[in-house]
Amino acid sequence: MKAMLHTIFQRHWNPYVVLLIAGLLSALYFGLTSTVWAVTGEFTRLGGDILQLLGVDVADWQYYQMIKLQGATWSRPDGWIVWGMFIGALMMVLLSNSFKIRLPQQKRRYVQGFVGGIIAGFGARLAMGCNLAAFFTGVPQFSFHSWIFIVATGIGTFFGAKLTRTLWWKGRPSLVRGAAQPSKVKARVIQPYLGAAIAIAYAGVLIYFFATGQKLLGLGALFGLAFGVLIERGQICFTAAFRDLFLVGRSLMAKAIIIGMAGSSILTLIVISVYDLTPVTQIAALSTLLGGVLFGLGIVMASGCETGMMYRLMEGQLLFLPVFAGNIIGATFLAYAWDHLSLYDALVKHGDKINLLDTLGPVGAILSTLTMLAVLYALTLYREKSYHRNFELNRGVK
Amino acid sequence: MQANKEADFTLDLRGESCPYPVIYTLEALQGMKKGELLQVITDCPGSFRNVPEEAIAHGYTFAQEPVKNGQEYLFYIYA
Repeated sequence: MKAMLHTIFQRHWNPYVVLLIAGLLSALYFGLTSTVWAVTGEFTRLGGDILQLLGVDVADWQYYQMIKLQGATWSRPDGWIVWGMFIGALMMVLLSNSFKIRLPQQKRRYVQGFVGGIIAGFGARLAMGCNLAAFFTGVPQFSFHSWIFIVATGIGTFFGAKLTRTLWWKGRPSLVRGAAQPSKVKARVIQPYLGAAIAIAYAGVLIYFFATGQKLLGLGALFGLAFGVLIERGQICFTAAFRDLFLVGRSLMAKAIIIGMAGSSILTLIVISVYDLTPVTQIAALSTLLGGVLFGLGIVMASGCETGMMYRLMEGQLLFLPVFAGNIIGATFLAYAWDHLSLYDALVKHGDKINLLDTLGPVGAILSTLTMLAVLYALTLYREKSYHRNFELNRGVK
Repeated sequence: MQANKEADFTLDLRGESCPYPVIYTLEALQGMKKGELLQVITDCPGSFRNVPEEAIAHGYTFAQEPVKNGQEYLFYIYA
């Protein structure tokens, strides 16, 4: 029992297992609700809610008509996905006694996080989804826009990683001579009790939703919680997947995400054919490419994407408060620019909703998706190998 | 809590978020002489995994097992 508790709460979980479960759960969530696991759409709506509180009428903004700004965030299933993720992550952080207010020594991080957050929020919504709806849950829906988005995010991340390496961006670390003392550990442990209290309160919310017949809200709250638990315990960082390959030749997260998407794609195809559902397809256009590049750049600048920042903020990494604010501001500005600055006419109008199931049929769609993922996997391995070959060569010279 | 051997350098990364702990650690190790001991203090949960794994992947060795100290970790790595 003690060993099991130790594994669950004191260790981070294997990312392959976590992402495979997340992929299967998101396919299941789609089967139950016909919507996908996503967060930035709700961020945009939150921005709309705030503007309306300030007295700005956004009802006639085309973007808000498209993503349906109705009710309050707690009366929207997508809203409960977001709050469920926050609460699930916080619950696990507390249960594992790992909450701590963490303030970056480099003050420049706050500015980098805020600016990066705005760029990532803007880019994600321009492309119709972040690394969930246009990536991790977009590929399994066979929506071709996610293929463009992956390539574009890779390009953006590449430039982000270059920026991260410059001295004026990363700053100097506090390297000192000799040993230093670690922090004093508090003897009284209260966090797990708070975590348990949150778990019980949240169970009450779930029971209330299902008992009063609000099934969609209940499912959103339940799956949101599960996703929050998973991303925190697995430390699932989509930003790291690309960035760390470029920075230090680290491939773990990229490989785990690819495996997760492959599992999710297969199950989603089964769900679609058994229940005769229509997959969620987003428009593929120049905006997808541009949005993906901006998103990739923004998440590296901010040190986290819209998903990763959620569990980091709950761990007490306060850097991610300006990132969260930036994400909402960026997404809301995109909603404004969509029609007011004619972004739609310039970048989106000429695009098309392409779903591989329609163009290639089910067999062609799954085979091409798995082939694409296999190519991504091979590229990941290649990049890791070439990084380490170069590193060894440079070390030899030194 | 004490290292077997006194560390030659300490990298105090408390508060810094990923990827900076990994970048800083690898750069510090690169700048040190072979055999010198680096102590890393970090509290970014992502770094509990990526710092030791990348230090090893880059050919450095650990002087002792990582030490969990409350909400932070201590690493002792030979350059």
